[in-house]
Amino acid sequence: MNFMYLYLPVALTSINILIPVGLGLAVGLLSGLFGVGGGFLMTPLLIMFGIPSTVAAATDSNQIVAASTSGTFAHWKVGNVDFKMGLYLLIGGFAGGLFGVHAIKILKATGNADFTIKMTYVIMLGVVGTYMLIESLNSMKKKKTEEVKAVKDSGFTRFLKSLPFQTRFEKSGVTHSALLPIIFGTFVGVLAAIMGVGGGFLMVPVMVYILRMPMHVVVGTSLFQILFNCIEVTFLQAYTNHNVDFILAVLLLLGSTVGAQIGAVFGRKLKGEQLKVILAAIVLAVTVKIIFELTLTPSLLLSQGGGH
Amino acid sequence: MKNLKFQVSNFKFSILHIALIVLMMFSVNAFAELTIKANHDHIKIDFFYHGSTVSVKGESDQGTDLIIKITSTEGNQVLRKKGKAAGFLWMNVGNMEFEHVPNLYTVHSTKKIGDILSPEEMDKYVLGYPALSRHAEITPASAGEEKTTWFNEFVKFKESSRLYASSTGKILTSANNGRQSYYILTDWPYQAPPGQYLVSVYAVKDKQVVEKAETTVLVEQVGIVKTLAGMAKNNAAFYGVISILAALAAGFGVGLIFRKGGGAH
Repeated sequence: MNFMYLYLPVALTSINILIPVGLGLAVGLLSGLFGVGGGFLMTPLLIMFGIPSTVAAATDSNQIVAASTSGTFAHWKVGNVDFKMGLYLLIGGFAGGLFGVHAIKILKATGNADFTIKMTYVIMLGVVGTYMLIESLNSMKKKKTEEVKAVKDSGFTRFLKSLPFQTRFEKSGVTHSALLPIIFGTFVGVLAAIMGVGGGFLMVPVMVYILRMPMHVVVGTSLFQILFNCIEVTFLQAYTNHNVDFILAVLLLLGSTVGAQIGAVFGRKLKGEQLKVILAAIVLAVTVKIIFELTLTPSLLLSQGGGH
Repeated sequence: MKNLKFQVSNFKFSILHIALIVLMMFSVNAFAELTIKANHDHIKIDFFYHGSTVSVKGESDQGTDLIIKITSTEGNQVLRKKGKAAGFLWMNVGNMEFEHVPNLYTVHSTKKIGDILSPEEMDKYVLGYPALSRHAEITPASAGEEKTTWFNEFVKFKESSRLYASSTGKILTSANNGRQSYYILTDWPYQAPPGQYLVSVYAVKDKQVVEKAETTVLVEQVGIVKTLAGMAKNNAAFYGVISILAALAAGFGVGLIFRKGGGAH
């Protein structure tokens, strides 16, 4: 009997406890720092350590519930969660998720699902990462006053102001049409459902660049809406697919809840622009990794069915 | 006279009877000469399970070669196939169905199976990867080079998760009172799911299987592992709610511990 290993009853495999705890800590740290769930990092890592892909994705949702609760709590304590904005985004995200699931069914029927999913993933990650990197590097050079002026003068901003149902979002210090977060929430929800990820890495840029929310409020609000998305996904995965491994989730959340708190503390010490640069670099690194996977001959040509 | 005839015929009948019984005894003896025993025939998967070992031992006629096969029941497995899309991008391009293949298949032999057994006998008892390849049905790669390629990929995939293995020369044999004792210690992979596994030993002579003996290994979940696995399947809604509540509680709990972790920006 080796106490360093635990048997996972749903994944039907054994794992060294340091692996999920360590992975949880690292991904939780990113979650607390940037307001992303980290599914785009965690799920492939779990698969790499022998967890079946379907169990990896479902269990990751379960641990994100813990990490985002911990992260939301940490950010809420310092007033960095815009619950009103989060709620509108959630409504949109929920509707988008339903559309996305139907879109996948149609894609699968046409036989192009995997190609479309992979391509959407690479293009979205690449575009978002590159844009964030260039924009945040540029704005780090500029003075803040110039940036605010430029935003106020843009045609896009004027268009946004002309939309109906203008509402003040006090926490974020912005005024927008209530339709805006709902529409963009739907857009991210569709893409996230197609790609099979939580969509934090898409939602964060939407809040920063379109909704013009301050970066630190973005992180807290993103975690808040990720929390509710992942509660829904965890329940559906457990109920319909029986793919949530409770033991694995506990091991992951032991690390991720602590990581999310450390991330929130670290985040305080970094400026919004610095956070954006680091997140952009991570998103681009993941894009490069996926491009390598797509172009290099894989060692195994067969894999277990299901999963992302 | 009639009585004498009856007695003679009765005597002949009895002789025939005895001869038949003796013959049967010999044949039963011959069949019983190959023995098999697995030392660890009930593997319990508990919380700290990380695989096990199973040793197989027994006795055979001297001078026979031996093949030991451990296998789960045959079934069909659907796996995702990677291929090139748009000419240069590796991604999942469909499914492949493998029929009549066990989830676990390990074969150990005293000498290379192809050298000690005829191809017909290999196929008859499905001994060795080439025989399993001929036995399996693969859709959509039903024959020829394509079938061989995908079967080899299947074996590679299974060997990577330690569910398929083959070895030559690892069975230890020794002379024992005119008989041959054999012994092999095998690693039991933690990736092998719960179920009943068949352990067979084949005695081989002149390219033919001359005897066969079997035993079983039962792999079973126990304790917390069994409870959680059962709950995940049979009380899925409750299991889902518990998983969510535990995650929420952990998130809040750690948040409270790090009470002074936050701060204004």
